[in-house]
Amino acid sequence: MNIALINGSPKPNGSNSGILLSMLEPLIADGNELHPYTPNKRPLTPEEYSELCRMDVLVLAFPLYYDGIPSHLFQLLVTLEGYLKTEREREIYVYALINNGFYEGQQNHIAVEILKNWCARAGVHFGQAIGQGAGEMLGSLDKVPLGRGPLKNLGRAMYSLAESIQSRSAGESLLFSPNFPRFAWKFYSTRSFWHRTARENGLKPKDLRRRM
Amino acid sequence: MRTIIHDLQEQEFAGWLGDTAQEEVTVISDSGAIRSCMGCFGCWTRTPGTCVIKRDGYDNLGELFSRSDELMIISKCMYGSYSPFVLNVLNRSLSYMLPYFVTTHGETHHRPRYKHQFKLSVHFYGSDLTEGEQHTARMLVAANGLNLYSSENNVYFHTSPQHIKEALQ
Ligand SMILES: Cc1cc2nc3c(=O)[nH]c(=O)nc-3n(C[C@H](O)[C@H](O)[C@H](O)COP(=O)(O)O)c2cc1C
Repeated sequence: MNIALINGSPKPNGSNSGILLSMLEPLIADGNELHPYTPNKRPLTPEEYSELCRMDVLVLAFPLYYDGIPSHLFQLLVTLEGYLKTEREREIYVYALINNGFYEGQQNHIAVEILKNWCARAGVHFGQAIGQGAGEMLGSLDKVPLGRGPLKNLGRAMYSLAESIQSRSAGESLLFSPNFPRFAWKFYSTRSFWHRTARENGLKPKDLRRRM
Repeated sequence: MRTIIHDLQEQEFAGWLGDTAQEEVTVISDSGAIRSCMGCFGCWTRTPGTCVIKRDGYDNLGELFSRSDELMIISKCMYGSYSPFVLNVLNRSLSYMLPYFVTTHGETHHRPRYKHQFKLSVHFYGSDLTEGEQHTARMLVAANGLNLYSSENNVYFHTSPQHIKEALQ
């Protein structure tokens, strides 16, 4: 099978969507050709849109933005719908690998619905979505094996997604939080993420509250 | 003050505000120059309160929201979402919130930067919207309202922009 792996984060580097795709890759590499697409680095060319119409599977990895799909990826989907309507010749299955900033992965449910609606319009099959909460934790968990500790739920969901992709079948969407207490995540993100970044930028924590 | 974000052509929208001239209105429309959010969180940790992408005219949306009594969105409804331009504007307004989290009713949201609330009114248009798409769109607006601390949300569906104009006048 030809499988497109589309990184739908707008971050040019170091995206959580990229981390999730790299976890999925070894699970679906056997017997398939994987084609990475990085619209986070530059917009897709017309040739690339046409290529996507010839894939068996599209995997969209993206962050939740305003409870939906980030605007640049949404624009890609609008354009791709046009291409699919004229160029698609085979059955295509779409899978989503979503992550969001808030703790509860459940908050990805509206983005899943939007993607299902897109599939219906574009004439492709919706396969399955998985959605990880507290996505910004992923960067600091690179030593943790998938399926262990805080990545226990993610492991289970990732294996389920890989299985659905391998068999090009539909699966239940799995939206989950990390196996890590919410209060600790909140404390850690304030101290180690926002305040540390502020200090690196020469700001004090109280500067972050500035009103314009 | 009312802020209107719309995705219509300049000529299409011209004349819409005729009767509301007395009222203060700020219109955010597609100048063709808007760049996309890069997901850098600079609006929280580098230039708190404003977007780090300067010079395209869409860097002060958070501050604009903080002065708005009503945020009115006029958007094509696509797959149950706003259109790409409206999404882009919303994505660029993240500075309206603070990075800090608060948990209410078992869900995490951001803390507000401003002691302020606006009414959120969304006018979607589209001639062949499915029930599913309308349902998704309603859920989306409700979730946005919750995250933006809106005082109330109103969602309307119209078959064309012209119908929105008639409804508003
Ligand atoms: C403009 C913007 C809007 C966001 N909106 C939400 C949101 O509505 N809910 C949420 O849980 N996280 C939201 N986030 C957080 C991202 O989903 C989170 O940081 C994610 O881990 C980024 O993934 P990436 O590294 O793959 O881009 C938002 C982030 C940005 C920059």
